[in-house]
Amino acid sequence: MSKTTRREFIKKSGMMALSVGLSQQAFWRHVRAASESVLTQAAALSPADRILVVIQLDGGNDGLNTVIPLSGSAASLYRQYRPTLAIPETNALPIGTDAAGTLLGFHRNMQPLKELYDRGYVAVIQSVGYPNPNRSHFASQDIWHTGDPEGRKRTGWLGRYLDVTSPSAENPLLAVSLAGTRLPLTLHAEHVLVPAVGSVANYQFRTQPPGDHQNKIRAFLALNRETASDHVLRKQIQLVALDTYESVERLQSGIQRYTSDPAITYNPQNSLAQALRQVAQILAATLGTRILYVSIGGFDTHQSQANTHATLLARLSEAVATFHADLVRLGLDDRVLIMTWSEFGRKVTENGNQGTDHGTVGPQFLIGTRVKGRIVGEHPSLRPEDLNPGLSDPKFSARAIDFRSIYATILEKWFLVDSREILGGGFELLDIL
Amino acid sequence: MPLDEYDKIAHLLRRAGFTAHPDELEAATARGLQAVVEDLLNFERFPDVPPDPEILAALDQSQDTFNRMRGDFLNRLTRWWLHAMATTPRPLQEKMVLFWHGLFATSVAGLEFWQQIYLQNENFRGNFDPDTGQLLRPAPGNPFPVGNFRRMLEYLSKDPAMLYWLDNQFNVKKNNEVGSNENYARELHELFSMGVEDVVAKVPNYTERDIRQASRALTGWRVLPRSANFTFPRVFSFDPTRHDFGPYEHLGKRGGNNADFIFDNIVRHRNPGQKQSAVGRFLGYRLFTFFGYEDPEPEIINALADVFDGAHGGEPFNIRNMLRTIFTPGNLVSEAFYSERAFRARVKSPTEYVVSLVRLLTFDRATSRPEGISSSSAVMRLLSNGMVQMGQQLFAPPDVSGWREGLAWISTTSVLARFNFANDILALQVNQGGIDLTRLMTQARLQEALQQRRYGEVVDFLARLLWQIPPSAEAREALIGYLQAPIPNTSESTLVSQKIRGLIHLMLAAPDFQLS
Repeated sequence: MSKTTRREFIKKSGMMALSVGLSQQAFWRHVRAASESVLTQAAALSPADRILVVIQLDGGNDGLNTVIPLSGSAASLYRQYRPTLAIPETNALPIGTDAAGTLLGFHRNMQPLKELYDRGYVAVIQSVGYPNPNRSHFASQDIWHTGDPEGRKRTGWLGRYLDVTSPSAENPLLAVSLAGTRLPLTLHAEHVLVPAVGSVANYQFRTQPPGDHQNKIRAFLALNRETASDHVLRKQIQLVALDTYESVERLQSGIQRYTSDPAITYNPQNSLAQALRQVAQILAATLGTRILYVSIGGFDTHQSQANTHATLLARLSEAVATFHADLVRLGLDDRVLIMTWSEFGRKVTENGNQGTDHGTVGPQFLIGTRVKGRIVGEHPSLRPEDLNPGLSDPKFSARAIDFRSIYATILEKWFLVDSREILGGGFELLDIL
Repeated sequence: MPLDEYDKIAHLLRRAGFTAHPDELEAATARGLQAVVEDLLNFERFPDVPPDPEILAALDQSQDTFNRMRGDFLNRLTRWWLHAMATTPRPLQEKMVLFWHGLFATSVAGLEFWQQIYLQNENFRGNFDPDTGQLLRPAPGNPFPVGNFRRMLEYLSKDPAMLYWLDNQFNVKKNNEVGSNENYARELHELFSMGVEDVVAKVPNYTERDIRQASRALTGWRVLPRSANFTFPRVFSFDPTRHDFGPYEHLGKRGGNNADFIFDNIVRHRNPGQKQSAVGRFLGYRLFTFFGYEDPEPEIINALADVFDGAHGGEPFNIRNMLRTIFTPGNLVSEAFYSERAFRARVKSPTEYVVSLVRLLTFDRATSRPEGISSSSAVMRLLSNGMVQMGQQLFAPPDVSGWREGLAWISTTSVLARFNFANDILALQVNQGGIDLTRLMTQARLQEALQQRRYGEVVDFLARLLWQIPPSAEAREALIGYLQAPIPNTSESTLVSQKIRGLIHLMLAAPDFQLS
């Protein structure tokens, strides 16, 4: 079974025009924009070499206990609001001061990430959120996924990026999600199909009995290549089926190319590390994958937060550091940008169950060899007048950073495309890449 | 090319129900299209599916006990509903319950008391009285699933799961401009009744102020937190001390002292210069998209809206009348429903996929109905697990706007999930709780045909069973080729059984079975 199944099919059935549609013009415009860009010429990497790995912290990460204020009014108010949950100063790992002069530190369990920070590979972006924050997990996650605080868009911001740059993508593995079997909304596109692989090991056509596998696959492909009907829906289904077959084949054969290194151990108890190991496998297989998506759950810490949150930060930090080391070994570290996000921060005041309720803004990280390691923006003000009335969470104020600024920065400075069409407007670019 | 009577009936049975088994088709053809439509519409003529005693028992558990088993409860509930869909003599009722679940999308993900999602399902089938919290089959006055939409809005607004899911539970009087929580008021307008814009005229249906005023009218609508008869909150309660008695300004009208004013305004709302109501068009669009095809023409939407509005003298807001218009031959809407554009042009949702599959494969020609599966069988477990992989977990829609239908169901992940699910279900032997394929083969005399290598006959029979169309020459050739291809180290008798299972697997994974 040839590797060009899908392309041949497209040619035979004239699907190209149908799947490219109106985006083609936009596509070429962006290609031109990218090739003429000063940035492209300046950077050693071509846009096609650049990879983005997204890590979702699912449940709303407590930003105040992740990047901890260690000086000024923020520090004293923080301790005052959180009698049991505040991280003692001695348990924080200082990383420097923000634009307003507040000294900040990582949670003590983030030592591996601190080491990357010290090497200049981590940008800490403070007070990220959006105006009129919605404290519902679902609504807020959708906003982050779609990049649309109005909640009207049904495609994801990276899905739209794929649509604009690769509307007729021939590679079914241009983007891959390893965050469960449901595709995150971030990667929903109009034209480009992104597989939600869940786990590489399970991403296979199961057939029984094993001896009949080839016969079945041959028949399955024949049924999806038949040209008897010109029904559009039918053709679309066939196209997706052939795409699926090709992505399975490419992934399963490519994955063999990865060999592990005894010096680099992805903790088997750490599900994020295991997902990132699969990311490394896919990248090592040189399958042309540009965007990878993983997630780690459990950040919705309404009660007994201290231990849970400490464990989660340790896992995040450990997994990212292991992954980075593996990328260095594979010679891929300067091609990979890692971005974390979480749907909201949490309230400043702890609740009655040693936990915290849903808040608004929080810190996000950009990690990679090419990142300008620094602290961007300011720690959210914890002064009573700067908190949402009755809610005790920091306002999305003038000092906060719109999450779409991060998206715009990644699109413009990493992927070298015009972000305005994708995000539906222009956003301030951050000096982190 | 217009559809012939056979294709029309097959189309109707698949869309208004889940499947058209060749035997059912034969019986239906003998009765004629009109009689079949009336049987589907007047489903009260046939027995309802019984409740599951274990689900009922779970409702009486203390909250702590229930919470320890709530995952099991949800699985059991899912299997019960899927089993109902697969075996019910009232397919249109089940189809409409599915429709309302997709429209009034409520998820356990936002509920503290998962028991409430079962009450909502019974509400959708007309078996729940929110004012008393009682399950009655049927509950007098409950308009679901095909009754008066104006009353449905009321029943849904009082539904305990809905009151929790969209926070109206916490909506209390604030001031003359707002209630304290507008979440429900917003979705009531945006998703449950008329949509942001008029479906045909494309003008805004309401303003932000209409939403805020509606939220005032819905203040004090909540679930009684405790009641002597029940272990969890399930009785609607109107709390006058939390309620804002108006008057409200809503959709250009001023008045009212409770949400009746809002519901009345909503169902009657017409934009300036428009003959049809906004809700009539919205529901006309949604119903035709669900049963017919995507993006129906404005004439079809308007014709259905006229029925909703009672423009021809019928009862206004009546859903059954709209369905009758879609299915009864001889009008503009049903011409479109029975057109070539609609025929085999609906992507099956995961629910439709698994239900149609199990219904067809367990159909017993001796009793003329699906046999041999219980809601606790291994097959039913595979069904509910498989659906999660395919992207549709019942009782847990991705968000309040429900599931994206149509081609959105077909992704690389879901193609693989459908393929693997069909493989797994076919690999299950009867003694493991699997489907009785021996019965199917014997009743169809497939065993002999296979042994005598009359492969074309086997393929044709199964295409008629599963696809209700003859296979294309190419498909036929591919499937015959599959039957001929040897499996190494396999005895003749095992080979026959494996090949028939393999053939059915392939046909369930083929494009033709993804379409209804």
